[in-house]
Amino acid sequence: MDYIVSATTDIGNTKRTNQDSYHVRVYRSNAGKIVFSVLCDGMGGFDHGEIASAYVVRSFFNWADARLATVLASDNPDSLLRSDWSRLIDHCNEAIAQFAARGRLVMGTTLTAMLITPQRYTIVNVGDTRAYVIAEELRQLTYDQTVVAHEVRQGILTPEEAKRDPRRNVLLQCIGASEDVYPDFFFGGTRENVVYMMCTDGFRNELTEEELFTYLHPNQLVSQVVSAEQERALIATAKQRQERDNISVITIRTF
Amino acid sequence: MALETGALLDGKYRILHEVGRGGMSIVYMAINEKANKTWAVKEVRKDGVLDFEAVRQGLIVETEMLKRLRHPNLPSIIDIIEDEDTLIIVMDYIEGVPLSKVLSEYGAQPQEYVIEWGKQLCDVLSYLHSQDPPIIYRDMKPSNVMLKPDGNLALIDFGTAREFKEKKIEDTTCLGTIGYAAPEQFGGMGQTDARTDIYCLGATLYHLVTGMNPGKPPYEMKPIRTVNPRLSSGLEKILLKCTQRDPEDRYQQCFDLRYALEHYEKIDDRYHKKQKGRLRLFVLALIASLGLLLAGIWMGQSSLKLAGDYYEQQLAEAERSTDYEKKLELYEQCIDIPDKGGKTDAYLGMIQLFKEGDARFTVGEASLLDRKIKEHSKELKKDPSAYSDLCFEVGKLYWYYYDYGSETGDNQIVRMKSAIDWFDDAARYAPEKTDKTTMATVYAAIGTFYRDIASKAIEGADKGLYKPFFEQVKQLLETVASNEHESEIVRLELLELSQSALQQYASRLYADGVSKDAMLQLCDLIDQISGGLVTTTQKTGEIKSGIRNRLEETRDAIQAVFVGEEGGD
Repeated sequence: MDYIVSATTDIGNTKRTNQDSYHVRVYRSNAGKIVFSVLCDGMGGFDHGEIASAYVVRSFFNWADARLATVLASDNPDSLLRSDWSRLIDHCNEAIAQFAARGRLVMGTTLTAMLITPQRYTIVNVGDTRAYVIAEELRQLTYDQTVVAHEVRQGILTPEEAKRDPRRNVLLQCIGASEDVYPDFFFGGTRENVVYMMCTDGFRNELTEEELFTYLHPNQLVSQVVSAEQERALIATAKQRQERDNISVITIRTF
Repeated sequence: MALETGALLDGKYRILHEVGRGGMSIVYMAINEKANKTWAVKEVRKDGVLDFEAVRQGLIVETEMLKRLRHPNLPSIIDIIEDEDTLIIVMDYIEGVPLSKVLSEYGAQPQEYVIEWGKQLCDVLSYLHSQDPPIIYRDMKPSNVMLKPDGNLALIDFGTAREFKEKKIEDTTCLGTIGYAAPEQFGGMGQTDARTDIYCLGATLYHLVTGMNPGKPPYEMKPIRTVNPRLSSGLEKILLKCTQRDPEDRYQQCFDLRYALEHYEKIDDRYHKKQKGRLRLFVLALIASLGLLLAGIWMGQSSLKLAGDYYEQQLAEAERSTDYEKKLELYEQCIDIPDKGGKTDAYLGMIQLFKEGDARFTVGEASLLDRKIKEHSKELKKDPSAYSDLCFEVGKLYWYYYDYGSETGDNQIVRMKSAIDWFDDAARYAPEKTDKTTMATVYAAIGTFYRDIASKAIEGADKGLYKPFFEQVKQLLETVASNEHESEIVRLELLELSQSALQQYASRLYADGVSKDAMLQLCDLIDQISGGLVTTTQKTGEIKSGIRNRLEETRDAIQAVFVGEEGGD
């Protein structure tokens, strides 16, 4: 299994800082190549959200340096990933909250982290950054931890109402500003010739699913250069449509 | 200026140590060394607040008002000091633990406590909402409520509650920082108002009584009995109503919620079942008797008996009967005879029946009587004089005998409030002014006084209401209570009412210009009437001795008001 990886970010139309943070790294192992990708959206409404988002990204890669080989070599990597990442998220939550309190600030971040091995993928998610898979169709792999998405799942709102609901930007939780964090985990088998895409809400708010599917289809993303062009084209469209947030997207095409 | 331990703030307050830290503020304990009194000093750092200007504007407007607020469940704000970097609020130091800590240490709290706390929080929110302009707290959650060593609550973090309030829609926010926000608090769904606080109070009580934080997975407020089946269904209904998405569907005022909490057992299913059971018996009896009635009419037809005769006959039989159920059944039959619903005799018989026996006019009886009168109100109003008399009797029945809420304490206010409309109707429908209509007006006025006085007092609009009230009470005492033919319950009730009015409102009466002599004379009248009153039951005997035992107290209360005045002479 091999990967074409690309990531693009843009400060967007209105924000003074880019509070999104991400990092993607490809590891070589005896079992084949492994991709580890972490994307965080620092809270737009809070101060210094980029501190929180960068802190979480860095913490995840520190973890990877220390633990990834051990975890993947174990009998049950899924369960180890779950316990390791849960603990790591709790640690980040406390550290950010403490840091924020010292400076009398409030800061927080979302998190979507994805580990792809030739066999399996594992995703952990907090907040409303998303992971998708694009193959025959565009399919979201994560659940948004937002008030409106929760109400859609409960049948209180329709997906259409959720898009217009004034509470659409209210997260159920985030790292750094919640008392406790309850992350969601998603597992699955890695597929060949598909695109795994991760993005912040700024990327997807103004774009349609058709556009995402068409521009980021595996047939399109044939090289790192083309992938980056396609990402930039979509970001330009989102900005043209008056997106207000920071915009970030990561694509991982398998082949 | 950032505060430091040991610093002297404003030349008065010595900062002792930090006691708490929030997102944008730090709270210190401070001591005023001269007065040897401790205060809480809250420091809001301006650079920590996103839109400090908006916060400051809000605060400046509110500063003077905040300082004026005085309520047993609120820390008083003593001083507000502002400089370039910080805003400092000096307020009462509240000893105790936040309810959030009680929850994390002990889990779900007993229902009785939670209801009592709910009532206290209703009181303080009512007080805030009654300000002009109304103050909406918007941040009710267990961590903002202190449980004091005496068991009472204090609402803290007040005055800077606006810190988090107005959110811009575009900005991402996180539920964890804003507690259990009501749907409309996210903007775009209408204004936040008193009902927003009712939502958050409902969520707070839900958290307290179930131990489940609605701001955490599964992020929902289920009916509380799905969490703990032993909880009251009445409380369940109350909390569900508080936390409706649409503010229109919630309690509209804290007063309503408080009332519901006081009577949560009344909306309990078990209670309803009991009542429904009683009603079902009524209905069964009614159906059975209708069967008899039809048979009666059938046979009556053959003997060409007129409905009129039948009415009189049934009525007479009801009066002869000694069995409660039988009597009630017959009176109901009378009322339901076609074209006879406008005659008041059967209603009056029913009223007499409700008064007799246990001297309790129960909720079930009240609903039956109300329904019967409503069903036939058109026919009844054709004879305004009789209808007026009937309304007067129903009014008295409510005023003196109504049982609603009596097991949770004295239900005097409920009784009087329920009677107001009946006395109003008694006065309105009377074709001419009589002693009775005057009396009805007096009853209605007293009832209205008690209904409104609490809210008027909070608004500070109560001055001038006490003197007319005093005159009305005096009038009832001189006419009704002095009448030896009046029932002992009625007379004792009035004596109690007058006595408690004197005890409770002596200072207000004085402020309204009622003289000491007038008050003492009224007291003497109570003394005289109660002394001469012969009681026949244990219950009335107890009421009487209660009144007699409090006579001295009442005189003292009056004297106390005038002590200052005489000392100045």
